[in-house]
Amino acid sequence: MKYVDEFRDPIKAKALIDEIHALKDKIYRIYDKPLQLMEFCGGHTHTIFRYGVEQMLPDWIELVHGPGCPVCVLPMGRVDDCVTLAERPDVIFTTFGDAMRVPGSKKSLLQAKADGADIRMVYSPLDALALARKNPDRQVIFFALGFETTMPSTALTVLQAENEGIENFSLFCNHITTVPTIKAILDSPDMQIDGFLAPGHVSMVVGEKPFKFVAQTYDKPIVISGFEPLDILQSIWMVLKQRAEKRCEVENQYVRIVPAAGNPPGLNAINKVFELREFFEWRGLGSIDHSGVKMRGTYSRFDAECKFTVPNIKIADPKSCQCGEVLKGVIRPWECKVFGSACTPETPMGALMVSTEGACAAYYNFGNLPKLLAKRQQKEQSNENKESAA
Amino acid sequence: MPQNNDQRKDPLHELYPFLHGGKKDSVSENTALLESIRQKSQHSLDIKQKFFTDNAQALIEAARAIANVYQNKGRMFTMGNGGSSCDAAHFAVEFQHPVTAGRPALPAMNLCVDTAMISAVSNDVGVRHIFVRQLDAHAQAKDGLVGFSTSGKSENLMEGYRKAKELKMVTIGFTGGDGGAMKSSNLVDHCLVVKTDSIHRVQEVHVACYHILWDLVHTLLADQRGRLSDNRIDNREEMR
Repeated sequence: MKYVDEFRDPIKAKALIDEIHALKDKIYRIYDKPLQLMEFCGGHTHTIFRYGVEQMLPDWIELVHGPGCPVCVLPMGRVDDCVTLAERPDVIFTTFGDAMRVPGSKKSLLQAKADGADIRMVYSPLDALALARKNPDRQVIFFALGFETTMPSTALTVLQAENEGIENFSLFCNHITTVPTIKAILDSPDMQIDGFLAPGHVSMVVGEKPFKFVAQTYDKPIVISGFEPLDILQSIWMVLKQRAEKRCEVENQYVRIVPAAGNPPGLNAINKVFELREFFEWRGLGSIDHSGVKMRGTYSRFDAECKFTVPNIKIADPKSCQCGEVLKGVIRPWECKVFGSACTPETPMGALMVSTEGACAAYYNFGNLPKLLAKRQQKEQSNENKESAA
Repeated sequence: MPQNNDQRKDPLHELYPFLHGGKKDSVSENTALLESIRQKSQHSLDIKQKFFTDNAQALIEAARAIANVYQNKGRMFTMGNGGSSCDAAHFAVEFQHPVTAGRPALPAMNLCVDTAMISAVSNDVGVRHIFVRQLDAHAQAKDGLVGFSTSGKSENLMEGYRKAKELKMVTIGFTGGDGGAMKSSNLVDHCLVVKTDSIHRVQEVHVACYHILWDLVHTLLADQRGRLSDNRIDNREEMR
């Protein structure tokens, strides 16, 4: 693991932390309010907690965890739609593993599997296509989920199915896009973000150009970041340096993976197979314009929404679960009323507790749970005291 | 918006049209919007129908309770937060300003309207006390209190209900989801729960519900209209 170890070197981390501290007096802050930096991607959130990056940072920097976990932002109604499709006797329903436990309004895919539905976990859409080849008398549906990162592989699988003339394969398409969502976050009156870490793997597909509007229109620094602890620290330092130098640009920290122009063949495959939905529902964020894709009419024979009756159920999140507020960065995961009590990774109520990339799961697994619960209790107590004192 | 050939060839333009100053073609947009309207209006109708099927008798009981308040020379107070404060205002105005000829104006006071009072209490004591203080000042046992909360958990409403029960007022609640504390506590005599977590759908049912409630109350009071006018005169004299 030589290559990875280099990106986890504690001596280099210490040097970066010192550089970050040194920038404090060069950055203008209103009333000494902490600078809020959003890491959009769930992979970043996971690294931040796994390696304790947040604890290494000075208290004038606050990390806000963005909605960049496609499993976490999937609305409950879409999970119910999956269950309806999966429970058809003629269907083999295939999905990535982390989507199996996302709660629907009645059951998750894992529970549907326990009830007898033929649901299989796959590592790639090509695995689903192989199942379709092996089972010509069954309909194989792949639960297509993910940001721009996974869209090319799904699109290329559809093109492969077309080339081979496989007709019993289809997608239940829930692919979503990050860039309009960053815009929605910037437009939201609740958000006061001072800079962004842009998603590294998405950028590998789309390149640097789509993030320019963040700097040019909204005057926010944005740095495309890798996923190792030193990547994150360096990206934070780059965002802060831009603020210190009063610059707002798109910078690429993850140059070893992200080409400036992205992956043109991947983008072409996306555009050949998919077209934009006018809007798509995100859990906790609501409907966001042009933030999801569906299959183009020319590929409707591979579209599960055209081939089968999908109920398209709209289900609001349970009221007690505050995933929406966490996704918008309005509250921290541990401030949610059910965090660590009614909602745990074993029995998740909200999607942010399901995936390892979800902010709540990251806090739960790596954030010193007893300390966080005590902190919440202290906060609740302090609110009550304030009112009764008055 | 016309597109040149270079733009059409750029896959990023297809994926992120807003970056290039344009939306997708208007036909596709219109189709999606029509479908959205169909889905949402159908959902609204389904929720509404289920609510009134399940709660018709409860609505009559609530109407009887309000009619009783007016028969006893009392008045109604209303409360809510955000959009629900607009429902509280709407409820009060329905009773004060009847739109159907021949129906009397009945006293109802919206507790969400006095910004000086609300900001003073919020600043000095806390938001949870904004309705309590007003009830302390104005309400009596013969009065009624109506609250609107889509979650049923608003702390300031629950404090209001506690005060109302101390004063022995009749209490009515409009809520959503599982009814929250409004349903589970014994502070709300008539709790009407719209069983969905969609705030919009809950509020849509609330509007239909209090329009119908207003009508029922007037039907129940129909043979006492003359006496109700006398009550209002008595009330004014009491105030003097």
